[in-house]
Amino acid sequence: MSFELDEIVIEERCRQSALAVRVLSRAPAAMSVSFIADARDAIRPAPGASDPFGAGKRRMVVMERRAPFLMACPAGSSEFACCGYLVVVLASNCPMDCSYCFLQEYLADNPGFQVYANYADAFDELERAMRRAPGRALRVGTGELADSLAFDRMTDISRDLVEFCAARAGVLLELKTKTDEIDNLLAVDPRGRTLVSWTLSPPRVFASSEKGTAAPAARLAAARSVLEAGYKVGFHLDPVIAYQDAERDYLTLLDDLFDAISPARIAFISLGGLRMTPALRSAARRRHPHDPLLCGEEVLAPDGRYRTFTPLRAALLRALERRIAAANPAITRYLCMEPPSIHRRVLGQAPASAAALGAALAGR
Amino acid sequence: MSDDDSAKAIRAWAEAHHVDRAQLERWLALDAQSAAALLDAAVRLRLRVGQLQRAREMLEEIALVERTQATAVLARAPLKRILEGAGPAPARGRAFVEELRAMRFPRLGRALEQIKAEVAALRLPRAIEVTLPRDLGSDELRIEIRVRSAAEFRESLRALAERTDGMERILNLLGGET
Repeated sequence: MSFELDEIVIEERCRQSALAVRVLSRAPAAMSVSFIADARDAIRPAPGASDPFGAGKRRMVVMERRAPFLMACPAGSSEFACCGYLVVVLASNCPMDCSYCFLQEYLADNPGFQVYANYADAFDELERAMRRAPGRALRVGTGELADSLAFDRMTDISRDLVEFCAARAGVLLELKTKTDEIDNLLAVDPRGRTLVSWTLSPPRVFASSEKGTAAPAARLAAARSVLEAGYKVGFHLDPVIAYQDAERDYLTLLDDLFDAISPARIAFISLGGLRMTPALRSAARRRHPHDPLLCGEEVLAPDGRYRTFTPLRAALLRALERRIAAANPAITRYLCMEPPSIHRRVLGQAPASAAALGAALAGR
Repeated sequence: MSDDDSAKAIRAWAEAHHVDRAQLERWLALDAQSAAALLDAAVRLRLRVGQLQRAREMLEEIALVERTQATAVLARAPLKRILEGAGPAPARGRAFVEELRAMRFPRLGRALEQIKAEVAALRLPRAIEVTLPRDLGSDELRIEIRVRSAAEFRESLRALAERTDGMERILNLLGGET
C-alpha cells in the first residue's frame, strides 16, 4: 500500500534520531521536508484549511513525545464491560480515512500525523509496567490512536516492538491494522508474543466508508501470511454497521474469514456496533457527506452516543455471534463498548471483569 | 419558475423566517428542483424553521441512502397526500415531519409498531403504565404502578404477574429476539 503525504516535518531535537534518518531516507525525493524547533506547532489544525483533519493526515511530523507512551484504552469506561487493553501511543492519526473513525473528534485539535522519535522510551515504560504487575499477562497495543502498520515501511517501528516483546514473557503485543503492510513482520520472529489483528468489514463498507485501507480480501491474505510466520491473529468486526442487508454481508464476511483461516487458529473475534458521539457524527457527516452508511437508523442511546436502535443492533450482533460459535465455540469473543445488558443478550453473559477478559485474551 | 427565481424565493422565505446562513446554504446546496420542492412544502404547510431544518436533513439523508433526489422523495404518495390535503397547516406540518421520519427510520418504525401492539395487547389496568425506551435506544422497559391503597397495590401486582409471558415477549423484542 502507498499513502500520500504532502510534507514531512522533523522536530530539530529529533533530527539525528534513528527514526528521522530512516523516514528521510525512504521519503520520495520530491517530498517537502522542513525542520521546526517545537513540533507541537506543526500538529495543530492548519489555519484556513477546508478540512484540517484531512490535511493533518498528510503531514507527517517526526517529534519527541512529551507525555507517557502507555495509557489505558480510551474506549474503556465504567459504563461498558471492557477488555483491559493498554495502549502504547507510538503515533497519532492515520493516513487512511474511515468515515466513522473516532479520531475525527478525538484528534480534532491536533490532527498532524505524529510519529515519535523517542519511541524507545516506551520500552522502558513497558518494563516498569511489567515489574509492577508480576505474573499478570499484559496486553498492549499500538493501534488505538493510529494504525499499527501504516507507514511501517518508512518507520520500521514494528520490528523493534515485536523484537522487544519477543524477548519478554508476560506480555502480548497487539498490532491493529486495516493495511496489508506486513513485510517487516515477516522478517522477525515474534516467538508467539505478538498478535496482529485486522478490522474486517464487508466489501460494501470497505467501498463506502474505509478510504485508503486494504481491501477485505487483502487483509485476509495478510492475516494468513503472518499466521504462517508465527504470529497470532485476531479480528475486529467493529464497527458493525446495520445497513439494509448487513446481516447477510457480515455473515458472508465471516464465512470468507473461516475459509481463509481455520477458526481453531483465530485468537479472538471482537464485535461492536457503530457508535458516534454527536460531535463525531457531525464531523463525520461534514467530512464524508456522500457516505450513505453514516445515515443508518442510529438513535441517541443513554450513553449519549448515536447507536443503531437496540433491537436491530442486538439481533445483528447475535446473528454474528452465533455464526462464530458455530464455526468454533472455543474462539474467544467479546464486545467492544457495549453495555452489560447487550453482552448478556448477545453472549449469554457479561464478562466477569476487564482483568478477566484481558487475561483470557492475553493467554491465547 | 427558473432556478434563479426559485433561489430568490428561497432567500426571501429564509429572510422572512430568520433562517440562519448555514441552514440557508444547505438548502440552496440541494439540486434546484429539490430546493424548490422544499420551499413549496414550507409555504403550503407553513413549516416552522425547526421543522424545515429537520425535514431538509431527513430528505437529504433519505435521498443519499436511496440514491435518489429529495424532489423524488417529496413526490411520494404519503407526503403528496399531506402536501395536497386539507386541514390546518400546523397539523399537516407535524404529519409531514412524522412521515419523513417514518421513511428515514423504516425498521425502527416497524419495530416500534410491533412492540406497541404487544403492549396494547396486554390490556393493562389504568394503574399500570409501560414506557418504552425513547426511540428504542436501550432495552430498558419502565413499568410504573400508581396506587393509593394496599388493595390497589396487590391488585396491580396480580395484574402484572398474570401478564408475565407478555412482558417477557416485550423484553425479548427490545433485545432483538423475535
